Amino acid sequence: MNKAWLYVALTSFFELVWIFGFNTATHWWHWIIIVGFIFVDFHYLTKACEGLPTGTVYAVFAGIGTVGTSLMDVMFFGEHISIGKIFFIFILVLGVAGLKIADGQDEKKALKGVKGDGLDSSIIGSTK
Amino acid sequence: MGWILVLLAALSEFAGVIGLKKFSENKTLGNGLLYYGGFGIAFFFLYNSFKFLQVSTAYAVWIGIGTAGAVLINMLFFGESKSTGRVVSLLLIVFGVVGLKALS
Repeated sequence: MNKAWLYVALTSFFELVWIFGFNTATHWWHWIIIVGFIFVDFHYLTKACEGLPTGTVYAVFAGIGTVGTSLMDVMFFGEHISIGKIFFIFILVLGVAGLKIADGQDEKKALKGVKGDGLDSSIIGSTK
Repeated sequence: MGWILVLLAALSEFAGVIGLKKFSENKTLGNGLLYYGGFGIAFFFLYNSFKFLQVSTAYAVWIGIGTAGAVLINMLFFGESKSTGRVVSLLLIVFGVVGLKALS
């Protein structure tokens, strides 16, 4: 579980590395390094999916990538941060945190023998 | 034309996400091709849509459809949890991603 979240962090980090590369590449061999990072990134993406629901991993991957690129634009490429951007970043952080909590609860349910696979409400209902 | 390319990019992304799911469970050549090929083709279509649409608009729509689709596919076909907390969190993420991309 925690190891899977470590892989989520790694895939998000490497995602930002290759996006940074996309914005700064000037020579052909830069692109070879970028493609290398994409493969490393995609490797950790599958590792993360081995321990967490794929939907969770993918949404967090997309969310952190989006927040990261926006912050990168502000810090390195002179874009302006606006109230609107801060609002959506806040929403995204809320969603990622909520997802971590929700999957933790699903895992607890699964450990208790109740499957968290969409049938859970009917199963919980029948066991009560 | 631009929107057709964005739609094709989103559909390829769905293929990539199914590949991701299958490849994480079973490292076969076919699953690997679906995974890397799906995302590769998705980026190809998305890149070409930039010729017709504003980059931030095309990107926002693509990533919104893609993320929502990835989550739905895994819920419907791969039995992932549909608990309220999870659905609300995922909606927040899709909303946030689309909003932030649209502003960038």
